[in-house]
Amino acid sequence: MNIKYIAASLLIILISLSACNLEKQIEIVLPEYESQPVLECYLEPGKAFRLLLSKSNSYFDPIPSDDLLPYLESLLISNADVRIRFGDEEVVLNNQVLVDFETGKFYNYSSAEIVPENFSDNFELEIILPDGKLITAITRILPIVPIDSISIEKNAENKARCLVYIKDNPNEVNYYRRMLHNGSIVDSFPEQDFVTDDKLIENNIFVFGTGYNYEPGDTIFNTIFHIDASYSRFLTSIQNSISSNGNPFAQPGVILTNLSGNANAIGIFTGLSYDRVMSVIP
Amino acid sequence: MSRLYSFLFLIAFLSVGFASSAQNRISISGIVRDGSSGETLIGASVGILETGAGTITNEYGFFTINTEKKPDSITVEVSYIGYLPTTRRISADKDVKLDLDLSNNEQLLEEVVITGNTVREAVQSTQMSVENISMLEAKVLPAFFGEVDIIKTLQLKPGISSGSEGSSGLFVRGGSNDQNLIVLDEALVYNANHLFGLFSVFNSDAIKDVKIYKGGFPAQYSGRLSSVLDVRLKEGNNQKFTGSGGIGLISSRLTLEGPIQKGKSSFIVSGRRTYIDLITNQINKANEDNPDYNTIPGYNFYDLNTKVNFKLGEKDVLYLSGYFGRDVFGFNSDLFNFDFNWGNTTGTARWNHIYNSRWFSNTTLTFSDYQYNISNSITGFKFSVGSNIKDVNLKHDIYFSPNPNHEIKAGISATHHRFVVGRLKAGSDDGLVSFSAGQDLTAVEYGAYISDDWQISPALKAHVGMRLSGFTSDGATYLSPEPRLALRYLLTEKLAIKASYARMSQFVHLVSNSAISLPTDVWYPSTANVKPQTSDQLALGWSWELGKDFVFTNEYYYKWLGNQIDFKDHAQLFANNNLEGEFTFGDGFAYGTELSIEKNFGKLTGWIGYTLALIKRGNFADIMGGRYFSPRHDRRHDVSVVAMYAVNRWLTVTATWVYGSGDLTWLPGGRGLFQDIPGGTSTPVFPIYGDRNTFRVPDYHRMDVGIVIKFFPKWGENDLTISVYNVYDRRNAYFLYLEPQYSQDFGDEGPPPGAVPSGIAAKQVSLFPILPSFTWNFKF
Repeated sequence: MNIKYIAASLLIILISLSACNLEKQIEIVLPEYESQPVLECYLEPGKAFRLLLSKSNSYFDPIPSDDLLPYLESLLISNADVRIRFGDEEVVLNNQVLVDFETGKFYNYSSAEIVPENFSDNFELEIILPDGKLITAITRILPIVPIDSISIEKNAENKARCLVYIKDNPNEVNYYRRMLHNGSIVDSFPEQDFVTDDKLIENNIFVFGTGYNYEPGDTIFNTIFHIDASYSRFLTSIQNSISSNGNPFAQPGVILTNLSGNANAIGIFTGLSYDRVMSVIP
Repeated sequence: MSRLYSFLFLIAFLSVGFASSAQNRISISGIVRDGSSGETLIGASVGILETGAGTITNEYGFFTINTEKKPDSITVEVSYIGYLPTTRRISADKDVKLDLDLSNNEQLLEEVVITGNTVREAVQSTQMSVENISMLEAKVLPAFFGEVDIIKTLQLKPGISSGSEGSSGLFVRGGSNDQNLIVLDEALVYNANHLFGLFSVFNSDAIKDVKIYKGGFPAQYSGRLSSVLDVRLKEGNNQKFTGSGGIGLISSRLTLEGPIQKGKSSFIVSGRRTYIDLITNQINKANEDNPDYNTIPGYNFYDLNTKVNFKLGEKDVLYLSGYFGRDVFGFNSDLFNFDFNWGNTTGTARWNHIYNSRWFSNTTLTFSDYQYNISNSITGFKFSVGSNIKDVNLKHDIYFSPNPNHEIKAGISATHHRFVVGRLKAGSDDGLVSFSAGQDLTAVEYGAYISDDWQISPALKAHVGMRLSGFTSDGATYLSPEPRLALRYLLTEKLAIKASYARMSQFVHLVSNSAISLPTDVWYPSTANVKPQTSDQLALGWSWELGKDFVFTNEYYYKWLGNQIDFKDHAQLFANNNLEGEFTFGDGFAYGTELSIEKNFGKLTGWIGYTLALIKRGNFADIMGGRYFSPRHDRRHDVSVVAMYAVNRWLTVTATWVYGSGDLTWLPGGRGLFQDIPGGTSTPVFPIYGDRNTFRVPDYHRMDVGIVIKFFPKWGENDLTISVYNVYDRRNAYFLYLEPQYSQDFGDEGPPPGAVPSGIAAKQVSLFPILPSFTWNFKF
């Protein structure tokens, strides 16, 4: 339990004790905002090369409630020259909107080329924007860290908790993203989704647990992503920036990106490697 | 060490030099006490009518005056506000030891006497940038939730702000909340707050004297950049057994004091405890069969102050005092057993020795401890985390008055620090899984100083001081010479211009990136990579005595801040074995002016203060590319009006009004699309934060009023103190947040995941509306 959340809870108690309406909407004027390119590109072995290249806008810009498509199109950056190089190969990603109906994700640059399996060397991204500015990034696809074992334990009320164990390599600093879904990966929001690292671990065994939340018949999906430091920093900065809103004890910050170049872009270029195990509560 | 010996030799040399020039003079020295309780009086005026020589008692009630040897007797006059002046005829042909007891002035019972220093003393002293408050003042002013809080009273003084609504933080002349040296009976207090900063740890019933230095720091103080808050506990009534206390909305207090051996030794014990948990426990108990009921966590805080003193003879007094306070938070359920407690412990052993009428010494051994502990257990797993800072300090100060033109202070000090930073243990009961973190660090801080209050001419007086501070930790040693200088020039008897310069160093640093003080904030020492913070403050001002009741003060200051510590964006400050890796270093500056007019006598007393200030930090490699920015507490204008009106012996009416420019806040300027990987949390957008603290929240203003109704039964006296906080119910912004707006009303359940907002609105959250409170206080 984070101390800042305890403090925020006490604050809420104090506010609610006053039994008064202590909130009101106010008008604020923010300084002029200069748009930045925003990039998300995840390389998953066996899947096509694809990415989403958009641009940020002012925080208070209105969002149309009726026809969202033209608004989304206006946020996309078109006509950029996008290339990914690995080994001796170069993949050119074409500017075309692609929707993955299985996952609900969409991309505006893609290629039919498939991200290779078992390629452990660098992938290099180069984007030349229509205004000539450059975005570059380098990443690798890390080896999968397999889920070692899963333990389902029940309490007296026949409710179950799930403990997931992995073995960590003690000779390097590793970062992980842990996800837990109940029911479905894509149709349900994760019950747990956070990043961590192995800096504090003592005997090379990680455990990720749950409360006694599950009924017999529940299907749960445990996923452990092996991620690199830059993706961990990016996710942490995204999460902190989101959670700082409404928490007076939190400190926001700038988005930590692994993109370089003169385009002042923010975002992430990273590989995905993960192990996922489905369990049905007996 | 050779520098230290040279320094001590210099002290000895100066002492011999001054002593040899004083063959035809005598010294009158002693201690001034309250005649009814035996409490020593700090800041009492002592003078010789025939020669005009005079001084004030020091923080131990001791005074010494040098005057010419005379065959006839002379008259010594002692005065202190609230007491009847006393004169004593003594022979002036040899050194005299003269202890003086003062009696309460019954005629002044109908007035609110707010300070121990006279108007004249405020003008004529070399010390500038200092604020005193008396306990009487703190007790009659409107109190937040009825809890008398000396730090909140200090926040009403110019140049001092709270940082946020209801907070007991101290932001002094552009300094941060951790740049205040807070000492309780000379023992350092690391976290002076309860309940996440809403209340201070100081129980007003046990306190005798409070003084805060904002600049012009005397040479005996060091270790923090921006202020020194010196709090002195009462010694206890050595004449008769007495008690006092109070019952308030959230806490009760009880203080007992009395003689151990009448006139020679005494004790005081003072305690305070909140009872929010007793109420919430009953609510929880009443709902224990309700399956839908969410248990309210238990929370309370308590303080205990104790002090005893023993007069060991005519020349020696031994004082032992201690403080123990804890905040306790607990939440236990079928799944969690969560306990969280934090607090300070301090102890002081002090020996005052009078060598002769010119020499007085004070030897002090102090102990300070601040710790927090969190423990949590979930079936099969345990988690604990805590931090601790423990200090042991030994210091020796001497006071020497060789002739009427010099009052010399000198001393040496050494502190051993032990830091346990973020000690974490977590794992499974079977030992299969185990996590740990934490650092153990030690350091030694030391210093030596000498200063002289030097009457150069009748109009010109100087405080000249030099301090050498040092710190050794992690193989690194830092030595910091800290010159101190204060000048006062009397243009007329009632008008003085003053100037001061002080350099301060800070060797331990608070690791916190939150807007308010959190109990889990840890202190971290200077190391090879973390250089000491420094400040250089220059102040100019003038004081003008207007009539016999008013004093007008205007000061201008400029403060340079070096080696300032901030934290990288998204720094991991909790359970991190490499905290230094999260630090980033820069500098800063602050400047401003403070005006105040005070009325200290009569039925109507109080003050009006105004501060115009500007604060900047910058040159941090990891923040905004090194550009300068304003910290959150950069408040441009600050006004406080404080009035106390004693209607009669039974009734006092008080009011305060404060106005300040809104605090700065950091809001996102832009937003970006974020669709995440399949299965991810999938918030559709993320906020993009640019430059820090570019938006100022609406201005802050608030009025509090209070009434004190006194009763005088046969057994003693009691009063009912009624306070109304925020009397006109101003909704001041505590924080802002940005909320998505939807074209469709989703009711109490809110929007479903993935719903697309039609826009974003800014919302302001206020913390406290109008809050009446009352406290019943008694004294017997």
